[in-house]
Amino acid sequence: MRRLGPFVFEPRLSPPRYIVFGVSVLAVVVALLAAAPVFLGYGQNPWQAYAAIGRGIFGSWPSFSEVLRRAIPLILCGVGLTLAFRAQFWNIGAEGQLLAGAVAATGVALFLRVPEGLRLPLMFLFGFLAGAFWGLIPALLRVKLGVNDVISTLMLNYVMAYIVEWLVHGPWKGPTMRGFAYTDAFPLAARLSFLPATRVHWVTLVLGVVMAVLIALLLARTRLGYEIRVVGQNPDAARYAGINFTVVLSLVMILSGGLAGLAGVGEVAGIHWRLRSPSHISMNYGYTAIIVAWLARGNPLAAIFTALLFGLFFAAGDYMKTTLGLPFQITGVFNGLILFFLIGFDLLMFWRVRLARKEGAWISQAGS
Amino acid sequence: MKRILAVMLAVVALGVLAFSAEKIKAGFIYVGPIGDYGWSHAHDVARRIVDEKFDWLETIYVEAVPEGEVETYIDQLVRQGCNVIFTTSFGFMDGTLAAAERYPNVIFAHCSGFKRNANMATYMADFYQVYYINGLIAGALTKTGKIGYVAAFPIPEVKRHINAFTIGVREVNPKAEVHVRWIYEWFNPAAAKEATEALIAEGCDVFAFTEDSPTVVQVAAEKGLPSFGHYSPMYDFAPDYVVSGQLVHWEKIYEDFLVKIYNGFYTTKNLAHVDYWWLLSQGAVEVGAKPGMVINPKYEAALKNYVINHPAFGKISVYELVFIRLNQMADPGITFDPFQGPVYDRKGRLVVPEGMWMSYDALITMEWAVEGVVGPWPGEP
Amino acid sequence: MDFASWLISTVSRALAFGVPLLWGTLGEIYAERAGVVNLGVEGMMILGAFMAFAVSQSTGHPGLGLFCAALIGGVAALLHAFVTVTIRANQYVSGLALSMFGLGLAGLLGRGWEGKPLGNTLPTLTIPGLSRIPVLGPMLFQDQTILTYLGIFLAVVLWLLLFRTRWGLAIRSVGENPSTADSLGINVTLVRYLCVFFGGLLAGVGGGYLSVAYRPAWTEGMTAGMGWIVIALTIFAAWDPLQALWGAFFFGALYHLSYRLQAYLAPELLKLMPYLFAIVVLAISGLGGARWRRRAPGALGLPYVRGER
Repeated sequence: MRRLGPFVFEPRLSPPRYIVFGVSVLAVVVALLAAAPVFLGYGQNPWQAYAAIGRGIFGSWPSFSEVLRRAIPLILCGVGLTLAFRAQFWNIGAEGQLLAGAVAATGVALFLRVPEGLRLPLMFLFGFLAGAFWGLIPALLRVKLGVNDVISTLMLNYVMAYIVEWLVHGPWKGPTMRGFAYTDAFPLAARLSFLPATRVHWVTLVLGVVMAVLIALLLARTRLGYEIRVVGQNPDAARYAGINFTVVLSLVMILSGGLAGLAGVGEVAGIHWRLRSPSHISMNYGYTAIIVAWLARGNPLAAIFTALLFGLFFAAGDYMKTTLGLPFQITGVFNGLILFFLIGFDLLMFWRVRLARKEGAWISQAGS
Repeated sequence: MKRILAVMLAVVALGVLAFSAEKIKAGFIYVGPIGDYGWSHAHDVARRIVDEKFDWLETIYVEAVPEGEVETYIDQLVRQGCNVIFTTSFGFMDGTLAAAERYPNVIFAHCSGFKRNANMATYMADFYQVYYINGLIAGALTKTGKIGYVAAFPIPEVKRHINAFTIGVREVNPKAEVHVRWIYEWFNPAAAKEATEALIAEGCDVFAFTEDSPTVVQVAAEKGLPSFGHYSPMYDFAPDYVVSGQLVHWEKIYEDFLVKIYNGFYTTKNLAHVDYWWLLSQGAVEVGAKPGMVINPKYEAALKNYVINHPAFGKISVYELVFIRLNQMADPGITFDPFQGPVYDRKGRLVVPEGMWMSYDALITMEWAVEGVVGPWPGEP
Repeated sequence: MDFASWLISTVSRALAFGVPLLWGTLGEIYAERAGVVNLGVEGMMILGAFMAFAVSQSTGHPGLGLFCAALIGGVAALLHAFVTVTIRANQYVSGLALSMFGLGLAGLLGRGWEGKPLGNTLPTLTIPGLSRIPVLGPMLFQDQTILTYLGIFLAVVLWLLLFRTRWGLAIRSVGENPSTADSLGINVTLVRYLCVFFGGLLAGVGGGYLSVAYRPAWTEGMTAGMGWIVIALTIFAAWDPLQALWGAFFFGALYHLSYRLQAYLAPELLKLMPYLFAIVVLAISGLGGARWRRRAPGALGLPYVRGER
């Protein structure tokens, strides 16, 4: 129990859903209030600006669909990361794993001779495998050689980005691109179709939701899921119980990397239709997904919603840049603020607040 | 006679004005932040110039747009009433074309690409002549015979510039070499700095580059070595060491294009063959350390004292040669091109035969390296 | 090219390029030793870079600029400390938020400052006497700023402080086992605040070095990912200030060589060399058994709640 001024805080171990939802909404609202001065600084009325953004995004199906489209890679990467984080494996490498998937998909799309009907399924299959491979490396490095997972996954992001750079400047440079560093465009059979009147490549979206459900089931209902949770929560107990760390962490990272790989397939097959410079394939989706997974608190199904929230942020950022004519950096300031408030309000979620019953010394920290 | 003509022109102009008095709202889409002091910055400077110049013109811009997202941004600009949209990165090409087909009533112009449509033109201001002139000067200034070039990406545009630069260098100093380092980024001060330091360590003593920051200029100046500015005026960063450089005037192209739309000359129906490839003679690019200063006065004496025996002009100082070549290329009836034959690549193959000039297509797809270029050359045929 | 000139330029460049990494890493080591991961280094560095440039440009004093850079880095770090130590929110998300926020804010504030040369830059030193020594002179005692030597000095001092003093013991125990530290009467909250703040100060200086010394100008996004390298180097250095020296300068040398060696090796592959090398070095040291493996502070990333653990 803690006391702060006239309030008493009591810990609450598992907050009910409505509290989580309510507090999150409250956090966003307060963050919007806190960000208001930024708009004033640029001569905009913040309330009108928020209203305009809201109308701009929710006003029509095509503009709302942008939220969905931007959320797709975040769902896939985020769901994969919830799994890794459950096993206490710090996978900072979704960015590289996503790019690995994009590379494999491009290889299948442009260079593999297969029946056209099989092309897209194979792209997803090989994209998954490539992402899984890129995720498996740090898992094995950690289990076998004790290499810290944060550093290996982070470094492998750079390595994969330069591999992509090398491919588009070298062996895969498209003959029709007049020397510019892009591969040729994918054939029609390697492009994903859109929902009507949008650019939402719905196959990847459905895949993301299905994967979230499957991973949730895996975690909750299977022996592997149980082992993953034990490895994450209590490594010593896991060792005592004879759980094979190599197998569990390898499987976790195969799935986590593979899902990010699928996101990469979606990006190249649904948006770019070619491989291009890595910074334009992924707008830091792999890094943003870390936040998505954390806000979801390791729950794959919740990751769908936190991913949508970030899809909303991205879409709102686009809107602020174009329609309100604000400098693009404002998006960073804005998203940073909202994040601070979202995690800061955790306090309210895990602590029950009430007024102190009795008069007492106003001490900020009374041991329980 | 002249007066009558002028009056007639005025009447015609007024008539055209009366017919196309609509306002133009132009949207500009940049790939980088306008604070990059390079490519996107230069386009935005030009936007502001035309915006101030014409009261019938309203402009808006969007910066830092990822290449794959261009269609989303075009949608939003169209929704805001833009009837002319400029997209300023090669990677925007396919997205711009798709949008052009979707919005047949909006005029599009795409920078540096090669796909056009009835309502989509292309434009580019290219530096290869400017680099050639810079090369002449660099060849005269090097003492070690090694000139450093920090290059962004091994793509034809950059390769063309390095080649033109090297041709200039070798014209006045046949033994000099141009050492190239690639940084694989358009903007990265740290990479540009270390690449420059690497070149200095190898004995290079004059520098040119393709990167969006004044890093190379500053690093060279610290060591007391001359360099050539790139894209934006960089004279102020090292007044004693920036000899000359490449300056761009996108506003020349924007002004011409927008005025022609305003006058009804360009419409959504007739742009399929409109391709601006503007060079020195149209004023879209300029040789200079800063606008109006072709050669930094501190280096005039050295260039005047550097006299060569030129095959075409006999005994001539490099200073004079620079202005002769500049006039030959700035004149509307261009009488010289850096790539006029014979040109050999560094593997000894004749790439431009004697007496020939390169076609536009050959220029913009250039992959080979000219004699005198030293260093890696990814994609070399 | 003879061996001596290769050695001179590689070491000299490694020092110059390693400085911002070293300062950032030393700061992050202290934050993490106290148990707080701060992924906001990139944001603190870019804020420092902007502040150092703006203040130096306005006042003409790069030293004052660096001081203000340290302050803004520290203030940004305090935000992280408040969110993670007091509110006990997730350290990783808070750090990422700080990076976003810092990059955005520096970009906003920096509009209009780009494209201007800095009048007074932080001077490079030529140490009298020492710089005359053959090979060693040009290698170590020319073309460096005061921050190179200060950084090395600081690394040694911080190592002594961390491993040879009671304060250091307090910091390490807070990072290893805060409840034990608490029961010993150490103020866990205060130690964590101080260490995170100190980390911010150093990251700010590291960023400031970029804009007033390394490449004296302000440009949007000029830290270009150095903050992330700092995060990696902190682990690479096994949370040890002396090892941070080797780590930062090793990375600096590789980064420089990736351009120097282009004359001999494919440039695309050289670009990924420093990153691949970092993994390879850790993997090889992992072969040497548990003693060589990096072990993170026990309570790293965990908020401390009194009485729970």
